Amino acid sequence: MNEKKREINRGGRTSKKVFWTSFLSGMILLGALLVSIGLSGVAYAVPLAGVGDFYVEFDNLEGDGYTFYPKMGETSSSKSAPQGTNLIEKLTIKNLKLYKDFKVGDQWLRVEITASKPVQITGLQQDASLIQANAKFSNLVLKENYSSDWTKQFKQSSSHITLGSAKLKTHYLFQKTITMNGMKLTVHKIDKK
Amino acid sequence: MNFTEWRHSRPFWGSVIAIISGSLILWVPLNLFLSAFLPGSIAVVGLLFGGLIIVLGLLSLFFPQSAKVLGIIIMFLSVLSVIGALGGLFIGTILGLIGGAALLAWRPIEWKDDRHPASQPRETAKAG
Repeated sequence: MNEKKREINRGGRTSKKVFWTSFLSGMILLGALLVSIGLSGVAYAVPLAGVGDFYVEFDNLEGDGYTFYPKMGETSSSKSAPQGTNLIEKLTIKNLKLYKDFKVGDQWLRVEITASKPVQITGLQQDASLIQANAKFSNLVLKENYSSDWTKQFKQSSSHITLGSAKLKTHYLFQKTITMNGMKLTVHKIDKK
Repeated sequence: MNFTEWRHSRPFWGSVIAIISGSLILWVPLNLFLSAFLPGSIAVVGLLFGGLIIVLGLLSLFFPQSAKVLGIIIMFLSVLSVIGALGGLFIGTILGLIGGAALLAWRPIEWKDDRHPASQPRETAKAG
């Protein structure tokens, strides 16, 4: 930057004081937003993606406006794997448990989110490759459509869905709004063969 | 003007960190392409925040004199991106705050050949 040809050199400086003041103000603003979500108990547009497959377990789910169709989607181990997309407009879940296991060195760690109170969700989209549950449907419609796109060839929909003792291997989860009271996040070691 | 000179005459690292932050924030809703474009979906907000942060990061590279204002907007958008994109799993939000603060703290300086900034009072940090 020291050029002899020019009389004036131009550059820039970063003030440490201004940097830390701004950064801490930003963190306070972020904290305020997270606290306001915590106080109202409603989080808006919450996606859960990019961490690879994780498991969702619950005792009971009651939902209205259910649609299912097949798709190919990403998992943590494969670029394209067969999955199903579940869309539910409005639902309530009892004893929800979300968890993912990570291998750290030669040990397994489980990151687990549980909700002791019923969880209310609107606008759910979930991509799963395995669904184990006791299911009940009202007004179930299974429909085949003539289409060159295989994902549009089959659609299942129902006005009301009840799932009991469910375990779902999930790859993608999105909620338009979620009210999660009694939420607990834990990280603990597990024994995994 | 070589690359090193060009880099020193603008808030280079602040801009680069802001662009990375925007990319991370954009990545989550891009996984969501199906519901992001459903009518009435809030997920599209995440796409907007991520895209705007990338554009503002690029603008701060080419308009260094506006770095302060762009830094403030980037910081606000990074915090708001928690809604609709989960702030790129929060990593994007933190990087956005770092990049935005670096842009906010950057100011252009001029010196003559015989007055290098190193000889000025040490109330400020390294050049960049």
